[in-house]
Amino acid sequence: MTNPIIRLQEIRKTYVIGKVSYEVLRGINLEVYPQDFLAIMGPSGGGKSTLLNILGLLDKPTSGSYLFGGIEVSTLKEKEMARIRNQRIGFVFQAFHLVPWASALENVILPVLYRGDGIKKEDIRRAEELLARVGLGGKKHLKPAELSGGEQQRVAIVRALINRPILLLADEPTGNLDSKNSREVLGLLKELNEEGLTIIMVTHDPEVAKTAKEIKYLRDGVFVES
Amino acid sequence: MISSFRGQYKEVWRELLANKISLLFMILALVLSLTAINTIYALGKSAEKQVLEVLSNLNFGKDALLILAGGQRFMGLTPTRTDTLKLEDVQSIERLTGVKLTSPVSGGVLEVRYRDQAEKIRVEGVFPIFTLANNWQVVLGRFITEEDLQGLRKVAVVGGDIPKKFNLKQPLGEKIMISGEYFIIIGVLENKPSFSHFPLNERIYVPFTTAQRRLFNRDYLTGIKVLLFSGEDLKSMRERIRSLLRQRHKINFLAPDDFRIITPEMIVARYLATAKILQNFLLAISLVSLVISGVVILNLMSAAIEEKAGIIALRRALGASCKTIFFHYLLMSLNIALLSGLAGWLLSLGLMYLISVFTPLKPLFSWLTFLLSFFFSTLTAIIFSIGPAYRATRVDPAILLKSL
Repeated sequence: MTNPIIRLQEIRKTYVIGKVSYEVLRGINLEVYPQDFLAIMGPSGGGKSTLLNILGLLDKPTSGSYLFGGIEVSTLKEKEMARIRNQRIGFVFQAFHLVPWASALENVILPVLYRGDGIKKEDIRRAEELLARVGLGGKKHLKPAELSGGEQQRVAIVRALINRPILLLADEPTGNLDSKNSREVLGLLKELNEEGLTIIMVTHDPEVAKTAKEIKYLRDGVFVES
Repeated sequence: MISSFRGQYKEVWRELLANKISLLFMILALVLSLTAINTIYALGKSAEKQVLEVLSNLNFGKDALLILAGGQRFMGLTPTRTDTLKLEDVQSIERLTGVKLTSPVSGGVLEVRYRDQAEKIRVEGVFPIFTLANNWQVVLGRFITEEDLQGLRKVAVVGGDIPKKFNLKQPLGEKIMISGEYFIIIGVLENKPSFSHFPLNERIYVPFTTAQRRLFNRDYLTGIKVLLFSGEDLKSMRERIRSLLRQRHKINFLAPDDFRIITPEMIVARYLATAKILQNFLLAISLVSLVISGVVILNLMSAAIEEKAGIIALRRALGASCKTIFFHYLLMSLNIALLSGLAGWLLSLGLMYLISVFTPLKPLFSWLTFLLSFFFSTLTAIIFSIGPAYRATRVDPAILLKSL
């Protein structure tokens, strides 16, 4: 049996606001293996985003152990976390989050900029190939405002892939899209998963969740049976 | 690494140009105060340079001293004797090593008449060496000679503005009356640039001996110009001459000097004293305005960072470290600083040319003000953007995920 990409053990997250503390995650245990496609569902306030933040190394758990690719990451320094985010994890957001003044191609190249070893010709070629693959080869010089929602999300997915991550985290990737564009984006995610990419997707739409191979429900900070 | 820096540099400019109004105001804020600082500083320097030029033109550059009779003045009065500086003093000063030449002068303000016109004019008794000591030549006729001195001749060499003052078309050979004695004009000196309070070109020079016997009836001097060999240390020379004169004048160690030794710097300082105060005052105001520019930058940067919190969070999510973010915003303010520094310097040059059209001040092109401009703009921009840049690193990347 292969080793899991992700192993969470008794992950807890408590937010303290003023004198009141909120325990958002109350002991999460999770294992994700290569080529998994996991959908996390649950009501608002259930802790989905907090979990995704911790999975994506954007936040640290209050307690518990998080092994990412065999490395304990819950105690890493900010700089090392940034490096893992840059090279091992791709993010796709509900609101796309593209840089408005940069073209589609420049948006895709952005993670390469933070890799630290400079932008190479191969990087640009790869970005162009990926853009062509999602049907945006002819629109690579357009700004986000000149692209449709679906196109913007495809640019965002390509951006997430540019540094060849082992894990793709998607937060409501179709939340801002119409049904046609949603289908296209989900089809693309499915394709990428079939090619070997591990995906964790947060959604509250059961139809969207069906794209995944496995669905987990998060309620009041713990995984529950549906 | 270089390519990565270039990429980030490009990003910085993209972000700057994305909000042109904000960029414009940041630059404008800096440019205005920088222009003021540069202009004030350069004009001050230019005034100083002009004074120095005037002095060195009179052979009163770094190798010259002026000894004046009478000690330090106190409320306009001289508490010491003023009649102790003698020709014998000059001879002993001349014997000091390092002294190139000396030019004794005995002068005073006297009434000078030409026909029915009378003026109060400074008349000085001098030696032939005067022209050499002051780098001052006659343009018409000749200067005073040894024969004039020996013969106590009543001849006069006049400053360049005197013929105009007395309306003399052919000054040579004309007779002017100084203190009731007729003098024949034998020469006219070239015009020298001088300061407004010190009209050199409105003076009359007569043989030293004639002045002492016929005009002032005295045996003491009013001043000695001393030229040193180049390379002599002015300060130590000044001390040597001072102790020599104190000894010769038998001044006991508690009593003050009965003479003053003036160095070119003292003249410059005196002429620029008021200008310096004004200049410092204006510079202080400009520095305050620079702080205000800094606050403007602080505000605009803070606003920009707040507005772009999403993009900063995105950069963090995509793998930019806190250091990268901090550097990004520092680089941004550095760009603004360099641009403003350049603009401020160019504008101040333009402003100086404009000022030089209306005033006697000459524009000064100086790399020092160029560096000054960049130094101040960089300093201000960096100091006031450290705060916002640090705040940018505190943007939580987790804000990107809104779906709780």
